[in-house]
Amino acid sequence: MNDSEPAPLIPEEGEVGFVDFQDFVSAEPFRFVSGGTIPELRLRYETYGHLNAAKDNVILICHALSGDHHCAGVHGIEERKQGWWNFMVGPGKPIDTTRYFVICSNVLGGCQGSSGPGSINPETGKRYQLDFPKLTVQDMVQAQSLLIDSFGVDRLHAVIGGSMGGMQTLQWAIDFPDRVGRYIALASGARHTAQAIAFNDTGRQAIISDPAWKQGAYDPDQGPDQGLAVARMMAHITYLSDVGMESKFGRRRRNADESKEHFDVEFEVESYLRYQGASFVSRFDANTYLYLTKALDRFDLHSPDSLDATLSVVTAPGLVVGFTSDWLYPPQGNREIVEALLRLGKDATYAELAMDFGHDSFLVRAPKLYELIHHFLAR
Amino acid sequence: MSPIDKKRQADLQIIARWVQSGERVLDLGCGRGVLLEYLKQKKSIYGVGVDIDFDKILSCVKRGVPAYQGDIRSILATFPDGSFDRVIFSRTIEQLDDPDAVIAEGLRVGRRVTVGFVNRGFWVNRMNAFLKGCHTINEVYTKPWYESAPSNQFSISEFESFCHAQKIIIENRVCLAGDWRSECALLPNLLAGYAIYDIASSD
Repeated sequence: MNDSEPAPLIPEEGEVGFVDFQDFVSAEPFRFVSGGTIPELRLRYETYGHLNAAKDNVILICHALSGDHHCAGVHGIEERKQGWWNFMVGPGKPIDTTRYFVICSNVLGGCQGSSGPGSINPETGKRYQLDFPKLTVQDMVQAQSLLIDSFGVDRLHAVIGGSMGGMQTLQWAIDFPDRVGRYIALASGARHTAQAIAFNDTGRQAIISDPAWKQGAYDPDQGPDQGLAVARMMAHITYLSDVGMESKFGRRRRNADESKEHFDVEFEVESYLRYQGASFVSRFDANTYLYLTKALDRFDLHSPDSLDATLSVVTAPGLVVGFTSDWLYPPQGNREIVEALLRLGKDATYAELAMDFGHDSFLVRAPKLYELIHHFLAR
Repeated sequence: MSPIDKKRQADLQIIARWVQSGERVLDLGCGRGVLLEYLKQKKSIYGVGVDIDFDKILSCVKRGVPAYQGDIRSILATFPDGSFDRVIFSRTIEQLDDPDAVIAEGLRVGRRVTVGFVNRGFWVNRMNAFLKGCHTINEVYTKPWYESAPSNQFSISEFESFCHAQKIIIENRVCLAGDWRSECALLPNLLAGYAIYDIASSD
């Protein structure tokens, strides 16, 4: 046996493996932009890799609307599904855990362990429900900054995220210019289009008009599952593209036509969406869905003055990536951010990937995206 | 560096001579970002590249050069007048629709515009056309017509009469011989293979 084979020049990709979440608790009251407060702030998070002695190798990952803090690895041996960005995060991957210390937290207002409408208010011992303060993307980022403080980290090597995570990323660059080394916003935008708001509100109406919603005061076991599932089904359509759906499902049928009319699953695409709706309900809270979609609809970097005025404080180099088939956050909405940054003389890059997976393209393993992120993080 | 790469980068040093240190430079059709990287190192410029191709933008990212993937005319339209000290078209003009309109936009956005192009009037190109009746092929334009993008090549004299007609001021001109290295002062429209101009608007 010859065991003197030279080590490969490019490290092989590895896996993060088993991971555990942790909870960050700040006993101080947390104040929202709206003026509302909660008596304590709780953020559930995971970390991968090791914080170096200089504490300058931290990458913060911001998740999207339906995502969570679990972006890589598995929690246990029986868990089949890896974290939502597992292909991007790990040893030898673009977000290389042998070099970087990666932090991903469940967003403020979320429902996977962080303070949100479904969490218990320690002052009353009851769930906040609609008493949870009005939420903005700025609040999400402010809360994350306290988590970063808790590690004794002043400055992040990078902040990165897609969709709602991309908006948080931009907000980081605006609110904490001295703490961000570089940022990457994927499939995001400076504000929602009328179409995006319209889709979100239709989803919200599906939840609100479900009798089980009860003005938000539902028991977690008896929530507005129907409404939330329909909201998710519709939103899921906006995450895909027509070409992508056509090639994945086409008109393929689950059951052959029968003589009697029925409204059970007939087409493959119906089965897929119903499954998406049903599985979402088991892991997501309807009030969180209402709060987060509202925060996104209100997010507007063009306000109060102009996009240029808002971005004028940014100092870090940025990379914004749009996807050709994304019609929820279309390329133009991504591009305009970089156009404004370049007008301001900032270091900013816009790249556009031709992929058929719609808005969800950033969640799909693609070699070009891989390379782009790897090199931008290393520059 | 291979001889072809050397030739491809014919205008690097000349453009670097004209660029003042710390200038704000917009390179339209920036390709892999080689020129901007060079200007950044030599002249500490703030430079932005524009290219339509993702792989070119990826190369710019590798070089640490800010870049924008998209259409040249659309990005130009987003900049206010005089946003850049210099707008560069290095072997780009011949690939564009409506070169006059794009050059006018370049002159609006940049206080100076630098144009580098292969001289169609170069005698070798004329001989190819005259004797063989064929499309120009050289170390930079290596592909036969059926593998090439549409290219609207022009000569030194055509470019200068355009500038004259548009009342565009020619601030600087360097013509290079067929090797694209030594300068060529004599009968450039016939003897120069490559030309680089620095132009400015007269108003």
